[in-house]
Amino acid sequence: MSGLLNYILWMPAIGMLAILFIPSSNKTAIRYTALITTAITFVLTLMLWAGFDNSIADMQYVVNVPWIPDFHINYSLGVDGISLPMTILTGLLFFLCILSSWTVEKSLKGYFALLLMLEATVFGVFFSLDFFLFYVFWEVMLLPMFFLIGIWGGENREYAAVKFFLYTFFGSIIMLIGIIALYYSAGNEADAFNILAHHGGQYIDKTVSIFGMDWEFNKIFFWAMFLGFAIKVPVFPFHTWLPHAHVQAPTAVSVILAGVLLKMGTYGFLRIAFPIFPQAAVGYAEIIAVLGLISVLYGAFCAMAQNDVKKLVAYSSVSHMGFVMLGMAAMTTQGMNGAVLQMFNHGTSTAMMFLMIGVIYERSHHRWIVRPDGTKGYGGIAKHMPTYTVIFIIGMFASLGLPGLSGFISEALIFLGIYERFTTITVIAVMGLLVGAAYLLWMYKRMFFGEPSEEVRSYSDMNYREIAYMLPLCAAVIVFGVYPTPILNIMRASVGKLVTLLAGFQ
Amino acid sequence: MTVTLLSNLAFYIPELIAIITMCALLFMESAYGDHERRRTFVYVTGVIGLSLCLFSLFKNIPVESISIFAGSVVVDSFSTLMKITMVIGTLGTFYISHKSIDIYEEFKSEYLIMAVGVLVGGMLLASSNNLLTLYLGVETLSILSYVMTSLKRRDSHSSEAGIKYALYGGITAGVMLFGMSHLYGIFGSIQFGEIVNGMKAMQEFNIAVIISMLMFFVGIGYKIACFPFHMWSPDVYQGSPAPVTAFFAIVPKIAGIAVVARVTYQFFGAENVNTEMWMRLIQIIAALTMTVGNLSALNQKSVKRMLAFSSIGHVGLILMGVITFGEQGMGAILFYTLVYTFMTLGAFFVTTMVINRTGSDDAVYFKGLAKTHPILGFSMTIILFSLAGMPPFGGFIAKFNIIMAAVDKGLLTLALIAAINSVISLVYYLKLARTMILEDADGEQKIDSYSLTSRVYIIAMVIPIIFLGLFWNNIYNLYSSAKIYLN
Repeated sequence: MSGLLNYILWMPAIGMLAILFIPSSNKTAIRYTALITTAITFVLTLMLWAGFDNSIADMQYVVNVPWIPDFHINYSLGVDGISLPMTILTGLLFFLCILSSWTVEKSLKGYFALLLMLEATVFGVFFSLDFFLFYVFWEVMLLPMFFLIGIWGGENREYAAVKFFLYTFFGSIIMLIGIIALYYSAGNEADAFNILAHHGGQYIDKTVSIFGMDWEFNKIFFWAMFLGFAIKVPVFPFHTWLPHAHVQAPTAVSVILAGVLLKMGTYGFLRIAFPIFPQAAVGYAEIIAVLGLISVLYGAFCAMAQNDVKKLVAYSSVSHMGFVMLGMAAMTTQGMNGAVLQMFNHGTSTAMMFLMIGVIYERSHHRWIVRPDGTKGYGGIAKHMPTYTVIFIIGMFASLGLPGLSGFISEALIFLGIYERFTTITVIAVMGLLVGAAYLLWMYKRMFFGEPSEEVRSYSDMNYREIAYMLPLCAAVIVFGVYPTPILNIMRASVGKLVTLLAGFQ
Repeated sequence: MTVTLLSNLAFYIPELIAIITMCALLFMESAYGDHERRRTFVYVTGVIGLSLCLFSLFKNIPVESISIFAGSVVVDSFSTLMKITMVIGTLGTFYISHKSIDIYEEFKSEYLIMAVGVLVGGMLLASSNNLLTLYLGVETLSILSYVMTSLKRRDSHSSEAGIKYALYGGITAGVMLFGMSHLYGIFGSIQFGEIVNGMKAMQEFNIAVIISMLMFFVGIGYKIACFPFHMWSPDVYQGSPAPVTAFFAIVPKIAGIAVVARVTYQFFGAENVNTEMWMRLIQIIAALTMTVGNLSALNQKSVKRMLAFSSIGHVGLILMGVITFGEQGMGAILFYTLVYTFMTLGAFFVTTMVINRTGSDDAVYFKGLAKTHPILGFSMTIILFSLAGMPPFGGFIAKFNIIMAAVDKGLLTLALIAAINSVISLVYYLKLARTMILEDADGEQKIDSYSLTSRVYIIAMVIPIIFLGLFWNNIYNLYSSAKIYLN
């Protein structure tokens, strides 16, 4: 089944084309086409997992076809232990998002077509083994996102969409220069765009001249790549696009944004920036760790100050992605494994949070815990919507890092990994956990306790469709919280290889 | 390889066809009194003539470079490929002029005649091999351009633009001639071959050469509207009727770029004492052109003006390709001009449609275009993203190739500036895309002239943009193997 990656990558694209040919009046057919496409894709990702050999650290299911022979650009795909968890996550979240978007009415056809296009490009980023291909998918992803936020978003959607687009575009075009510089530094011309061929830190003694000054190739292009990926993660101080994009985006898009797209940034570090420039990565580990730490704390404190529940969760994403950065900066086996696991776990738990906010938003059409004029928004939901409350608690505690749920294991691994190297940072970062618990519990108290208001009383509890798309995520956070071994097994070999590579430059 | 004078004409068939077409158009214009019928004839003749011209160019892409007419004109694959792009551009604007109500009915056939005339000038320019031919080309191109600018005779903006264009043009042509006379004084010949030999023979850096080359560059720089000779372009673009603007954004620019590439490649391609200085100068001009163009485009309300500034930005990028010399730079320039032609034609066609509806090209009239006219709106969006350099569209590949060529030559600073410029340009392209797609239209709006052929036309512009973004290996192969005649 070596063509499996092709099927996964192009299945959503085929679904998109199919949707474009369905007349826009036939809404049911459009919805079911999207649902079936993503369901098949998800099943295919599970098949990928089933056929995946955990003991191999290198790429599996490799596809390699020449695309532009003159420039040695290949259509080359592959999956390893770092990209497989992300692939499964992507397959799952898109499937659930289609379910959660069942009630979308506005230009339904375009909405589902763009969501499927987005899915294809996300897979493309996780599978690409060719720089050019990677860059194309990385950029094309912006188009559906721009329209999804800009057309189906909230009141201030245009500003959010443009800001998101510009930030990411800026980062990636700087990255492009890095890619081109690497092209000309390749030892073997045929492998000039091959990401894997650049691994291993071959660019140590090279210098380049920019603005009339000599720079170390290794360092300057590490930062070029860093910029591209850090904007995507987002790491403080490049995070300012995130709250806008999240708040304005429709529910499903927020889920995808937080659940999958942010991981593309950290994935970029693991696949490109770290293994290609290991010397710079090791040398700047402390800076990366400090930036991660600031993200953790700053995100947490910002979240605490929010009255808009979606913005609160958006800032909590900044905070949680900070932990991933910390784990990566540790460059130890535990830290790296924790980081990749956290990428997966944050994907499931934050998706739960955003989906739950979407559920309540469909009923209330606002997201205020406390309205700007000081009056109470939500409150007393616990008494009125018991099912909602239970599922929300699971999601919240998973994201808070309660032992027994998924977030705990990955954060614990990250702290285990980083303690040896950056003890002070670890101590401060643990405080971040405390702040995290504080804002989530405080939010919980304000939203769920007390007497339900007239408005809250008018909400209906979750229906079967909503419960149906929450259950897989509930299962995921509980199962992987108690028994994370399946996911850890997938990544062990590949992460081990990366850690060994980095350790050679310590 | 030189050939005898009479057989020279065999290598000049495309140009001859264009000249005959122009004469035929003139004849038709005066032979038929009846308006409706005359216009049909004129269009059919024009399209057939240029199609023949295109065909003969395609048939005869020379493998070996030849100089004809006693060495004053060269026929090489580089100039032929440039000419193909120019002819495609001219043909494209024919349809825009046919649809546009920006040109009054009675002047429509004049537009065709002069456009073909400018094309002939551009073709001559692209393959000129001595200073005199070059000057002839520039003047043929310019004088007809001045008239085209003021085609909308009763419109004061159009007349103003014409005067401005002519004044600037006169001064720059004078400076260019002055520079040429210095070159003649220094090298004792107007033949490029002699000048090249003279440069190679020089022992040390000669400031007089660079100064006279710069003066010479003023004339060309003005044609391609690069900084600091770009001031006329926004006014002229805004004042001219939309099809004329589209034409100016394509044919004279491409012709000018062909000349800059040829001169740079011939004079400085083989390392000599003056190369470094020239390289540095063009680098600075390229960087400033991009930056000034894109920054000025940021706050434009008139879409034509915005496109004018954005095309200045594109010229900056192409100049960056010019100084990389070599195969890769050559392929990159040719590729860029081709993609740029399709993008410009598409963008101006949509603008023309909006002008037809509202009489103005102000960006606010683009509101909700994607909702009222989905094909126009989405095609324009694709074009805008392509102009900004987003994959998977041709514009990205074009920029990518240029930046690749620059990084290869170690021009990392310039590549970085180009990259940042891409981001700046995205700001204003996105602004327009946002207006079209995310905002709602004001009421029901119908474009009368928007017919089935219009849909076909705009789709025909978008398909190559997408195609060139995905499968560019073969065309790039053809382009990077293009040869410039070396004396």
